[in-house]
Amino acid sequence: MKFLKALILFSVLLSLSANALLEVNIIKSKEELFPVVIAPFEIIGDAHQGADIANIIRDNLNRSGQFNALSTNELVTNQIDFNFWQEHKKDAVVFGKIEQVSSKVFNIYIYIYDVFSEKSLYAKKIAVHNSGIRRIAHYLSDKIYYVLLGQKGSFDTRLSYVTVSESKQGNRTYRLQISDSDGYNPQTVVKSAHPILSPSWSSDQNKLAYVSFKNNRSEVFVIYPFLKIKPIKLPKFDGIASSPSWHPSGESIALTISKKGNKDIYLYNLKTKELKRLTTNIAIDTEANFSPDGKSIAFTSNRTGQVQIYIKNLETGKINRATFKGTYNAKPVFSPDGKELALIHRVGKDYRLALLNIATRDLTVLTQNKSDESPYFSPNGGMIIFATNQDNKGILSIISLHNNQIVELTQKDGVVREPSWSNYSN
Amino acid sequence: MSKKILLITSVIFLSSCAATNIQELGDKFLDLINPSDAPAEVADLSEQVLVLSDESGGFTEEELETLSNDELIALAKEKGLEDKLVLDADGNLQNRDEIIKALVESEALSESLKEGVTEELESLSNDALIEIAQAKGIEDKIILDEDGNLQNRDELIEALVEGAAETELAVAELEKIGGSFVLYFAYDDTEIDEAATRVIIEHANFMQNNPSVRLRLEGHADERGTREYNLALGENRALSVKEVLGLYNLEDRVVVVSYGEEQPIEIEHNEEAWEKNRRVEFVYY
Repeated sequence: MKFLKALILFSVLLSLSANALLEVNIIKSKEELFPVVIAPFEIIGDAHQGADIANIIRDNLNRSGQFNALSTNELVTNQIDFNFWQEHKKDAVVFGKIEQVSSKVFNIYIYIYDVFSEKSLYAKKIAVHNSGIRRIAHYLSDKIYYVLLGQKGSFDTRLSYVTVSESKQGNRTYRLQISDSDGYNPQTVVKSAHPILSPSWSSDQNKLAYVSFKNNRSEVFVIYPFLKIKPIKLPKFDGIASSPSWHPSGESIALTISKKGNKDIYLYNLKTKELKRLTTNIAIDTEANFSPDGKSIAFTSNRTGQVQIYIKNLETGKINRATFKGTYNAKPVFSPDGKELALIHRVGKDYRLALLNIATRDLTVLTQNKSDESPYFSPNGGMIIFATNQDNKGILSIISLHNNQIVELTQKDGVVREPSWSNYSN
Repeated sequence: MSKKILLITSVIFLSSCAATNIQELGDKFLDLINPSDAPAEVADLSEQVLVLSDESGGFTEEELETLSNDELIALAKEKGLEDKLVLDADGNLQNRDEIIKALVESEALSESLKEGVTEELESLSNDALIEIAQAKGIEDKIILDEDGNLQNRDELIEALVEGAAETELAVAELEKIGGSFVLYFAYDDTEIDEAATRVIIEHANFMQNNPSVRLRLEGHADERGTREYNLALGENRALSVKEVLGLYNLEDRVVVVSYGEEQPIEIEHNEEAWEKNRRVEFVYY
């Protein structure tokens, strides 16, 4: 794993259009990038909405840390000048066109060519409604990612996060928002004068669990952000209820409850309304996260007097300590393959994002920040989104595990934090 | 229960061993075991705390004019306006008009206070009102229909406002004599030291002298570390304060909430700010 200082830093301000509340800033690495040309799509008829497609794809690929995606002034058609692209050291060329079928329907054609073998890797025609232009661009980005790298992308997915803004009178407004994976199309799903934290997507993407203080205490709520279904009301628990984490089935949810003051992790079944206790230690047990197979949970506990991470096998009931390096390790989340944990690790006075190999116990610190929080893997495992502080302001940061490239998502007026990454769209 | 008390008192006892002589230690330990005896180092507040005996809601300016000077002096003392009294060598009131004005203002203050509380309560749901009324021990004022719906919302709010205004005035008195409403903690720590114990005992006395007040202990953490862990830590801080109040059999009147790192006092990111943010706040209601 290369370290951050090895990066060549230069910033690109990618998107500042009116509907992007989050500004995107890439601190780019030039290491091990796949050079690809994404030519502007040819517009046939009145289909100017499609002009954005190539830009969205290019931005997506560049954000992933896997690609150096450039545009071109050359008109690229099926008669490709492979020698030209070979001379310019591009490994693949993507081009396409968009044509108007009716006032609201377009046909999109996309072609991917390998420059060296001079072969077509992918060709597709898709009909799309004009409201779905961005979505189709994300879908095509995932296709390109898969065709060129042999791995799934994480573009046609959503983020959720919490923003905090402060009025001149000092009143704070908290918003639970969801956006596309590139920060576009932000929508507020909950707005409150009280703190909101720990949003978490169910694996089917239909449900969002989060913690709200709207009743002057921490409580877990479950909403359906895209469906007209009433929020699920969890029973009222004494003391704090917080830190929701979905079981992969989406039927039950792990949460921290402090019955009689003792903070333990419980499993609440949304269907049977059954509450099952998963930890019993008198110390603080919290921040549960399910393994992708649902068979174990990782959690934070101060049972030894230090804050460390443990993994409980739910089949055997056995609890093993997972972290041994350092005096503070917290907020574990499983990688999609279940082999690693992203976590927050204290180094001296700083709290930094780190990656733990569960089997070998190797711990790799990924940043040099002062206060990282709330890590979450992209669904393909290639990136981790987390919250951090920059110039005393809360921002989101996405790190590519391929080459440690950083993408920063910032909110112009106010703070953004508590990110969570959804699974793939259905 | 008694085992727990002994455990806690021993901890407090030991933690206070540093700088006092044996005699004082013995006294202190006894004080802690028999908390009904007012601890020597803590002022007995019973005489200074305002008790609103006047159920009718106080005097108007005209009524005050009819009172004798001595009656005005007594009333001013009752309302905590002693520092405004100017007396001559024989104890005669020298500033009758100012005192009447001050008394009228203090009445107006409690009126505006009531308005604020009313507004707050009006915004609550019936269920929330019922919950508060139960917490305040005025269940008998709640009238429900067969389906459990509140029938007398307005009266209940009125009753709650009276109680809330009373609490706020009593708390204002405690503030005036320099009572502390915040305790601070070390990093990732919930320990109550000797100074903190004294503050808690002061509050225990206050609660015993004001049997209608109820206390919400709000636990907070600094921003370092993860949010959910800090939420748990904040609750543990508030619980450790509640444990000491439990020695005075006050636990039924104390609720605990945690805000974790979500409501900092200081928003800077340095040691000074963190020290102020690791705290438990005493909020009476």
